[in-house]
Amino acid sequence: MNVVEIDNITKTFGRVRAVDDLSLNVPEGSIYGFIGPNGSGKTTTLRMIMNIFYPDSGKIRIFGEKMHGATSDRIGYLPEERGMYKKMKVRDLLRFYGELKSGRRVNKEVDYWLDRLDLSDWADKKIETLSKGMGQKVQFISTVVSHPELIILDEPFTGLDPVNVEAIKNAVLELRSQGATVIFSTHDMNVAEKMCDFIFMIFKGKKVLDGTLVSIQDKYGSDTLRVRTEGGISKLQNLDGVDKITDFGQLQELRIAQENDHQKILSEIMSRTRVYSFDMAKPTLYDIFLRIAGPEAKEETDA
Amino acid sequence: MLVLMPVLMGGSAIAMYLLRGQVDTTDKRVVVLDRSGVVADMLLKAVEERNKASVYDKETGKKIQPAYILDVVEPDEKDPQAQRLQLSDRIRVGDLHAFLEIGQNVLYPKGEQSTFRIKYHAKNAAMDNVRNWLNNTINPYLRKVRLVDSGLEESKANEIMTWLQVEAMGLLSVDDETGEIQEARRTSEEEAIFVPIVVFFLMFMMVMMGAMPLLQSTMEEKTQRIAEVLLGSLKPHEFMAGKVLGGLAVSLTGALVYVIGGVFFLGRLGLNDIIPYHVIPWFFAFLVLEIVMVGSWLAALGSTCNDPKDAQNLTFPAMFPVFFPMFVFMPVLMEPTSGFATWLSFFPPFTPMLMLIRKAAPAGIPAWQPWVGLVGVILFTALAIWAGGRIFRVGILMQGGAPKLSNMIKWTIRG
Repeated sequence: MNVVEIDNITKTFGRVRAVDDLSLNVPEGSIYGFIGPNGSGKTTTLRMIMNIFYPDSGKIRIFGEKMHGATSDRIGYLPEERGMYKKMKVRDLLRFYGELKSGRRVNKEVDYWLDRLDLSDWADKKIETLSKGMGQKVQFISTVVSHPELIILDEPFTGLDPVNVEAIKNAVLELRSQGATVIFSTHDMNVAEKMCDFIFMIFKGKKVLDGTLVSIQDKYGSDTLRVRTEGGISKLQNLDGVDKITDFGQLQELRIAQENDHQKILSEIMSRTRVYSFDMAKPTLYDIFLRIAGPEAKEETDA
Repeated sequence: MLVLMPVLMGGSAIAMYLLRGQVDTTDKRVVVLDRSGVVADMLLKAVEERNKASVYDKETGKKIQPAYILDVVEPDEKDPQAQRLQLSDRIRVGDLHAFLEIGQNVLYPKGEQSTFRIKYHAKNAAMDNVRNWLNNTINPYLRKVRLVDSGLEESKANEIMTWLQVEAMGLLSVDDETGEIQEARRTSEEEAIFVPIVVFFLMFMMVMMGAMPLLQSTMEEKTQRIAEVLLGSLKPHEFMAGKVLGGLAVSLTGALVYVIGGVFFLGRLGLNDIIPYHVIPWFFAFLVLEIVMVGSWLAALGSTCNDPKDAQNLTFPAMFPVFFPMFVFMPVLMEPTSGFATWLSFFPPFTPMLMLIRKAAPAGIPAWQPWVGLVGVILFTALAIWAGGRIFRVGILMQGGAPKLSNMIKWTIRG
């Protein structure tokens, strides 16, 4: 069953088409990653799922039905910009948000999550006294404290240190294991690759990628040759059949142009310098992202 | 807030009341230049009597009023200006309080006007109790002298000069228990305006307490992105309704405390007669509608603001339905049945406050008028909720750009 079914939705703001004829299905119990450059339409799509914005055309069904008042109670939403009453105490705020969603007391859940994210000592402190990372964790708790079946997180890892990123990641995985469906947007391709069952990329309001990581990578094939050589980047210039070279210092990544022979290119490199190691790899999500939305893609579009 | 607000608002009135007995008891020395030759002696006698009767409290012996000391000085006919200047200088250095010039023809004013003028020179002559006393002493005396000169006996002249005050009285009524006719109660001007003013300012206070904060709080919830979190749980109209109902609850709680407290307090003082029981239901009906109407409007305006400056700029237009009645409440109170007051009180944004003050005024208004006003306000409040809700729905998520009337109209029409 699909928890979210988006069918040809479009949303415009003035003359800007923020989302353009987008369709998407989010299966129950999955983690779905939304990626895309800034201003590509991620947040607008999430807001339409939340019924905060209404699509100009198209349909959105949540839990198999059109969104209505009670549906939003089954969804936890963490907006991109954090919003908390600064003068409220942490525990009071979490109770307020949790009870607003669930309509019942959530004292136990609040205590559990405060303990789980190492915030128990801050429970009676005012929000304004928290650091940015702590505030982010409190906002995360407010999203999940009511046990929502669908959790929508708009850039949940922004501004967090690695320890807290790990804590939130583990919490998300725990919620998924308990049956929740999770949608989150992120700019961190590593997180998306490791966590998401499905990845969806939106660019200029249009869907450009949708599927599992493997299916997306398969689409691009094994077109990447990683080499470690004695001569380094200086010996790899002007190789025929190479579209792009990314230099990592000790290691270089060569993107092989379509219908070119890897062996031939490797032989050419070996004739120029000593090769310590090499391997053929699928492109990373980061690389795919740049191919679609980076300066290189812009140059191609402009050309 | 419940305590502080009336303390601040009523503070000045209470201070004026408490300080009304605070008088500068420093003796006032006044030089009299009597060119008529008929007033000075009378003034000396009158001031002696006045000082004897009024300067000291008869029971405590405490000085409660300044003594007036009159120095009758011969007018300098050769150089009157030099004499005036010299007296003025004495006033400037504090040696004198004032000097009085009495024209030579004051008894029978005719001829050139300068000959029958009475001039009082002081630092603050216009607002001076000594001048009032002189006015009220010299004029009756001159009238009496004229009557006596015309052949009347002095006692007869005194009778003629007797001044009787027209007393303000209330209406007679029948005692419900005994069936006897109750004597009318004497009323004062202060008492007549006390009830309408209290009711009016209580309404103003409740609006400031319950509705006014909605502008700021909505703006804060928007700019701090709390609105988006809440909109994940609520629909915009539910969000706005919650805010308005919260403001209403604050106002009603405050109003109940004050009304119950006021009725109890006045009852204890034996002033049941002045409690306007017939106005209380109207007060609450109009208060509910006023808070919902103004609250919806303020929440909608708050949703269009992006920073505190925006909210500050919108405060006056937002509160106009409350401020305008403040500007006109005295004319409406004095003439509650005039065309101006009547028509203005039928204009729905002003109806709650102006109809209430008219209803509370002693003169009263036709019974149908508050009902018609109430219907108008109900309809207008419904319109305010509808338009406010549509503006709020769009404005609360719209970032950037100053609030514009054109946008609000567009959002109201298109939603």
